[in-house]
Amino acid sequence: MSDTAPLLSVRDLRVQFNTDEGVVRAVDGISFDVAPGETVCVVGESGSGKTVACESITKLIPMPPGEIAGGEVRFDGDDLTDASEKQLQSIRGDRIAHIFQDPQGALNPVYPVGAQIAEAVRLHSDVSKAAARDRAIDLLDRVGIPEATNRVDDYPHEFSGGMKQRVVIAMALAADPDLLIADEPTTALDVTIQSQILNLLRDLQDEFGMSIIFVTHNLGVVAEVADRVVVMYAGKVMETGSVHDVFERPSHPYTKSLLECLPGIGRSMEPIGGSLPDLTAPPEGCRFHPRCPHATADCRSGSHPELLEAASDHRAACVYYGPGYDVSAIRGDGEAETRATDGGRDDSHDSHGDSR
Amino acid sequence: MMAADTPSGSTTAAGSTDRFEDVDWDDLGGLGLPLRTGLLVAVSAIYALVVTTDVFLTEGSVLSGTDWLFVLTLLVGAFFVAWPLAENRRLTAYYWRRFKKNRAAVVSAIYLLVVFTVGTVGPWLIAKPELNVIAAYQPPVFVSVDSSVPSACAGAVADGMCHGTWKYPLGTTSEGKGIAKLVVFGMRVSMQVGLITMLIVISIGTVVGTSAAYFGDLVDEVLMRYVDIQQTFPTFFLFLIVTYLFKPSLFLLITIFGFLGWGGIARLVRSEALQRREEEYIRAAENAGASDGWIIRKHLMPNVSNTVITAATLLIPSFILFEATFAFLGLTDPATPSWGQVIASGRGDLDSAWWIATIPGVFLFCTVLAFNFVGDALRDALDPRSEGDA
Amino acid sequence: MSMLWYVSRRVAWAVIATYLILSLTFGLLVVAPGDGQTAFAFKAATQGGNVDDAKETFDEITGRDEPMLTRYKNYMVNMATLEWGWSYTRNQPVLTAISEAYPYSLMYALPATLISIVLGYAIGLYSATHQYTLTDYFGTFTAFFGISIPNFWFGIMLILVFAVDLGWLPSYYQTGKGVWTLANAKQLILPIIVLSTGAIAGNMRYSRAEALEYVHADFVKTARAKGADDWRVLVRHIFRPALVPLMTILVADILGLLFAGAYITEVVFQIPGLGLLSYKAIVQQDTALVMATTLIPVFIAIVGNLLQDIAYTVLDPRIDYGGR
Repeated sequence: MSDTAPLLSVRDLRVQFNTDEGVVRAVDGISFDVAPGETVCVVGESGSGKTVACESITKLIPMPPGEIAGGEVRFDGDDLTDASEKQLQSIRGDRIAHIFQDPQGALNPVYPVGAQIAEAVRLHSDVSKAAARDRAIDLLDRVGIPEATNRVDDYPHEFSGGMKQRVVIAMALAADPDLLIADEPTTALDVTIQSQILNLLRDLQDEFGMSIIFVTHNLGVVAEVADRVVVMYAGKVMETGSVHDVFERPSHPYTKSLLECLPGIGRSMEPIGGSLPDLTAPPEGCRFHPRCPHATADCRSGSHPELLEAASDHRAACVYYGPGYDVSAIRGDGEAETRATDGGRDDSHDSHGDSR
Repeated sequence: MMAADTPSGSTTAAGSTDRFEDVDWDDLGGLGLPLRTGLLVAVSAIYALVVTTDVFLTEGSVLSGTDWLFVLTLLVGAFFVAWPLAENRRLTAYYWRRFKKNRAAVVSAIYLLVVFTVGTVGPWLIAKPELNVIAAYQPPVFVSVDSSVPSACAGAVADGMCHGTWKYPLGTTSEGKGIAKLVVFGMRVSMQVGLITMLIVISIGTVVGTSAAYFGDLVDEVLMRYVDIQQTFPTFFLFLIVTYLFKPSLFLLITIFGFLGWGGIARLVRSEALQRREEEYIRAAENAGASDGWIIRKHLMPNVSNTVITAATLLIPSFILFEATFAFLGLTDPATPSWGQVIASGRGDLDSAWWIATIPGVFLFCTVLAFNFVGDALRDALDPRSEGDA
Repeated sequence: MSMLWYVSRRVAWAVIATYLILSLTFGLLVVAPGDGQTAFAFKAATQGGNVDDAKETFDEITGRDEPMLTRYKNYMVNMATLEWGWSYTRNQPVLTAISEAYPYSLMYALPATLISIVLGYAIGLYSATHQYTLTDYFGTFTAFFGISIPNFWFGIMLILVFAVDLGWLPSYYQTGKGVWTLANAKQLILPIIVLSTGAIAGNMRYSRAEALEYVHADFVKTARAKGADDWRVLVRHIFRPALVPLMTILVADILGLLFAGAYITEVVFQIPGLGLLSYKAIVQQDTALVMATTLIPVFIAIVGNLLQDIAYTVLDPRIDYGGR
């Protein structure tokens, strides 16, 4: 863990949507930090609120019907939830950039890619069109588009899916952001392209020195890129910690069940019974209790448990970490294999975990 | 709209084998489409035989050509809309719940129902409005006008003002015809125009569109080229020419707009069908050995029908407006009472008998508006893809 | 396939369509009973002439006494060379009558078109990007109103209120008041309002619907994430891509709407433009004039469609010119 102040600090963020069917509390009080230069993976099933959480950081969600109901998002000292639209516009792209899931729709079909990248550049710095175009070519080259000079004037539909995602990455990096929020950037791509993009992101992170928030539901990807992990479920954070800790000793029943969902040699997959709660009327007490094999009476009433400390810099929102409970019932005892990377882990990752 | 239920492999009516291929789908599961179509065809054939000879081959028959078409439309509506809706209660309830959200549409639907009933039944119950010069220019009830306006005031005269009476609740025209009666007869005309033309447009458009989509290649090319030409030609002006050259009538209007206005629906159906054609359940049906006709009828059409219905409902207002416009211009059959006609007749008397031009127009406006509201709400209720508003 | 090839194909197509339509109208002319002959004969009869002689003269004048193929050829040639015949009710060549009339049509149609396009699209776009706001609801309400109200009745009601009851504006159009004068402007206000209402409503609905498709598009989110301000997002990332499908309705439908609407407007307000010319010709059975004035909008519609198709391919870089 670093001693420097976190780059991004989300505290008790609550985001809801006012729909015909009721108020959907997509994000109901989440907190996590992102330190400079680190990669934080936000993990969860579809519908857990991870996308809404990330888009709310820069208020990209549609504001009716959505609204930020509370909490704060401190970016480099300033609370973004209070920022005006103009302030946010100067931050977006320049200091916080976004990549979205589906590259097919992320690029405007009627403008060439070079123009779109140049737009990202010129929105935040006063350079000439020619200079911006040069930078666009440079960026395309950096992200691995072959013959960048020729392709800078091509239209998005002339690129393949993987190439489009690279263009999107180039566009996001155009103004040299401090924080990159990547919302499932590889989910829509083939596996081989996936690993290329992941490697690219890692290289770019080293080169640009930026932090990354990486949203995904794929635990394999998490194991590959994360420094720290935030596990979300039904709009709440269930567990946070370093990737090593969370995978080796999952401290929340939900995380444990997630890991057991993965196929592994020597044992069968265990699906999690039940289904996601209705976010207009979430269950009393802990959101996960209807599906949790360890639920007790405390879990079924009251409000959702706070994030309690399970170990040093490793927290879980479970009553078992409070007084009067035997944690060993739910906490992994250290011999659980890392299910995510079945062929054994890369040793360099261990050192990552230690230096924080 | 909804396909009949088809349970998987069981014994056939003959009770012999259990093999999947031997199942006679038509025998099973409710009054399937073929049986229904068969009934409809039988009924219309009888109807046609009995009535058509009378209508078309003899002068002065009980029903005019338009009325014959109207009855046919009602029959089709009963068979293909009312019957399936009654059969599939759950689906109907679901659609109704979604439709109900739009209050303006619900009010409009009720209004339209009233207009439809009054318009269909009314003209049989009341006599056609007749020329009566003495009763000309009567004001509507609750309204009074300078007593010099009507030739003889049917109501009380006070302070030199002639007051309206309940005898002519909406006043009379310059020919002494009661406007209330004219409104009722006009309702029928508008309903006929709207519904019959819609039927023709849907029928031709759906058949052409689905065929073009399903058979593709040359068939598609030829059909769509023809639609292109047809769409370029503004029907309004073609109708002008035809009316000018031939004797104008409501039947002519309906036929021309019906037979030339289906291009849009055909294109819509074609694009919908093209999308559906690629879907898995079509492949599945093909693999199970279904014939082309079966697939089109049972799988393509029901899934396309929702979009078609919405589009068609939104066409009705334009047909009604066209009829009213032509009636206003005096280019339709003067013997057929129509709202547009009455409005035209009141134009010269705006400063004295303003109600003649105003009142039928209010009804016209409300009817068209109602159809638009309903069509819009139908689209939101029926088309699952248009949930893009959230 | 290059763009040039596509364009020439479309032009050729337009020519074919024109030819087909002309042939169709010729066919109708041949098949139709009467069409002016009766009126002409009637006129002759009331003036004490011989009815049969009159009919023969009419046939000679209009060329109906010649064999079909010759008539067809003459008809086609005449149409192409703008020899559109003689208007016997106005006692002048059809072409002259048309050229005298169309300036009046332009006077109200041009402003109405401009207003309806600009206002219609602007309000539609605004509604799409500001959904659920008061302006959105107001816009939707106006749209319903505009497309539902019968043009002719609306015109009459406006006359009733503003001319008859309030007396602010004249109730019908009178020539001789100049073009750019205040008096002329006053008498054009109501016609312009009537004509644009329907068109604005239609435009608004279409542009709102199309823009809505794009408002929630991923690339709009991307643009906002880049830090673009609302205006830029609206113009470059919503309007510009939406322009593509909007083009498909812009030219053809607007033209269609305008011509039919113009007809009514002129008849209601007595503006001596093309619409009124055509109407009077119909009423008075002046066939040559009727044909010409009814076919003009048709041709303009064909040309409009052509231009629209070409514009569509220019605007959307994804269109492949080969195939349709």
